[in-house]
Amino acid sequence: MLSKIASCFTVRRIAGVVTALMLAMPVAAIASDDDDPWPDLQKSVFGDRQIVEGDGVVTIEAPERAEDPAVVPITISVPATVQGPLRSMALIIDKNPAPIAAKFEFGPAAGSGGERRMTTRVRVDTYTFIRAIVETEDGKLHMAKAFVKASGGCSAPAPKDADGANADIGKMMVRSYEPEQAQTALRDGLVMIKHPNNSGLQIDQVSRGYVPAWFIRDIEVKRGDDLIFNADLGISISTNPNLRFTYVNDPDGNNAVQVTAIDSARTTFTGASANRALAN
Amino acid sequence: MVPPARTRNEEAAFGTGPDQEAFSLWPRHRLPGLTRRELLIAGMAISSVPLWGHFPAQAAEPMAFSEIAPGVYVHTGRHELQSADNRGDMSNAGFIVGDDAVAVIDTLGSAQIGADMRAAIKSITDKPIRYVINTHMHPDHVFGNVAFRDDKPEFVAHHKMARGLSARAETYLNNTKSALGEAAFAGTEIVLPTLEVQDKLTLDLGGRELVLEAQPAAHTDNDLIVTDAKTGTMFLGDLLFSEHIPTLDGSLRGWLTVIDKLESSPPARVVPGHGPASMEIPAALADEKRYWQTVAGDVRKLIAEGKTLSDATKTAGQSERGKWEMFDQYHVRNVTAAFAELEWE
Repeated sequence: MLSKIASCFTVRRIAGVVTALMLAMPVAAIASDDDDPWPDLQKSVFGDRQIVEGDGVVTIEAPERAEDPAVVPITISVPATVQGPLRSMALIIDKNPAPIAAKFEFGPAAGSGGERRMTTRVRVDTYTFIRAIVETEDGKLHMAKAFVKASGGCSAPAPKDADGANADIGKMMVRSYEPEQAQTALRDGLVMIKHPNNSGLQIDQVSRGYVPAWFIRDIEVKRGDDLIFNADLGISISTNPNLRFTYVNDPDGNNAVQVTAIDSARTTFTGASANRALAN
Repeated sequence: MVPPARTRNEEAAFGTGPDQEAFSLWPRHRLPGLTRRELLIAGMAISSVPLWGHFPAQAAEPMAFSEIAPGVYVHTGRHELQSADNRGDMSNAGFIVGDDAVAVIDTLGSAQIGADMRAAIKSITDKPIRYVINTHMHPDHVFGNVAFRDDKPEFVAHHKMARGLSARAETYLNNTKSALGEAAFAGTEIVLPTLEVQDKLTLDLGGRELVLEAQPAAHTDNDLIVTDAKTGTMFLGDLLFSEHIPTLDGSLRGWLTVIDKLESSPPARVVPGHGPASMEIPAALADEKRYWQTVAGDVRKLIAEGKTLSDATKTAGQSERGKWEMFDQYHVRNVTAAFAELEWE
C-alpha cells in the first residue's frame, strides 16, 4: 500500500503548496481509515489560513452515489452574486490516495462576474467528502463540500474498449459554445483530451504489477493572449480528462480557445477551438 | 454484467437463509475440529438421511436446464445482483451435446454454482466435457469455470478476453466475494482461456460443429458468439439482454452494429445472456435495439445542445424506465459510458 501511494506522489506536483508534510500526510489518512482526513489535509494544503464554509461563495454538485466510480461528474460554481475575479480553486477528494484532484489558477479571461463554473470528471475510491475551495480576490478561502458514495474508482481498469482507447492518445477536442444571449458576460468552453490518465493504482495483467501513473498534469487554457486558467491535475482525474469551464464572452471578438497540456511523461499536447464557435 | 460498484447491505452479502446452510461449504466455526473435506464427506453421508429432508429441495435436485433444441440445453439465471442467496446464479448458461463430447457455454458466477451446473450436465449426459466456452469476461459468466477444471477441457474465449479479465481480476474477485459472502464465494478463482478465438474457430463435438466468432467491441471488447450449426442455435452471451436491462462495458456504436448484423442474417433461435432460454430474431432484439437507440439518440442530442455528462445522467433514456428489470442499478452507468464514447464523435 505504501509503495502505491509513494508512486502516486513522486509524480504529483502542486504548484505553490507542496510541502514535505504533503508527502507524508495522505499515508496517515489511508492508514486510519475511519478518521477524518480533512483537518490534516487542510493544514498541509492551506496551512493556518482560515476557510469559510457555506457562505454561498462556492457550491459543488456531485452525485450522491457514483454509478461509475471511475467517471464521477463534478461541477463547482461561483454564483453571479460574487463580484471580482477569482484567484484560485482547489478540488479535493478527502479519501482518495492522492486527495488533491486539481488546482486551478485563474487569469483575466476567466472573468470577474457572472456565474462561473468548472465541470470535470473524477475517480472516487471510497465513500468520501469532495471539496471545492475557492480563493477570492481578497485572498479569503471559501469552501463547499459534497459527500459521494463510491468504491474502487482509482483502481478501476478504465478502458472499456482497450484497443480503441489507446488508438489516439493526445487527440484533443476544444469547443467554445455560443451563448444564448450575445451580450452575456460569460460563455462556456470545453477541453477534452484522449489520455488513459493511468492512476498508478491499476493492475497490469502481464506483469501483475501496477500500471505506472501516467496522466495529464498541467493544462493551460487561453483566449488569445489572455489566460483563462492554469490547472495542475492529479491522478484522480478520469481517463480522457474533460474540463468544461466559463470564460469571458467578447460579443465582437474572437472567442477561440487555445490549450496546451503536458502529461507526466512531459509530452506536450496542443489544441484549439475553431475560430468560429460552435452554435450552442 | 458488470458487478456494480456499490456496497450491498450486510444481510444480502452474508445471507443466512436456509439455502446457504444446505449448499455452501459448511461454516467451519460451527463444527470445530473438522476439516472442510471431512465436513463435505459428512454432508454427503447424511444428505440421504430423512431427518435432513427439511433442507431446500434444490439441494437435492439438479440445476434446471431446458432442452431448447435437440442436444442444446439452457439454464436461466435470476435477474438480480450477485448475492449470497443466488450464489452467482444470475445469468444464462448452456451446454451442447455431440456424439463424442460436450461443450459448456458459460459457467455462471461462482465455483459452487458452477459445480451445480456440472452436476446437472453429468445427470443428463455421461459424455466428456471437452470444451468450456466463455462468451465474455464478466464474472457471472466465467466464475464457475473452476468447477470444470478437473475435466481438463479447453477453456475457449475471444482472444482479448484474457487481457480484459486479468486487468479486472482483483476488482471482480473482491466485489464478488463481498457480494456473495465467504461461504458462497469459497473455491471461486479465475480460470483463463487455454484456446483463444482470433476471428473464427470451429469445434467438433462429433457429428456436431460449433462455430465461434469473435466480435468487435460491443457489450465488452471480448464478446464471442457461439453457433450450433446443426440446429441453428446461436448463443449470444450478453450481446442480447431480454427483460434485464442491457449493460454497456464496451462500445455502444459497436453493439448497434452487431445488432444490425444479427438482424440481417437471423439464425433459427438465439439464447440471450440474460432473459428467456430461447428467443427468435427479430423480436428478440427489438427491446435491446430500442433501448440503445434511445440512449444514443438522447445522448447525442444533449451533446449537440452543449449539455454535460451530469445533465445526461438525469435525463437521457428515462423513457425506458419501467421497461426493464434492474433499470435503477445500471441505467445511469450505461448513460455515463455512452456519453463518454459519443462525445468524441
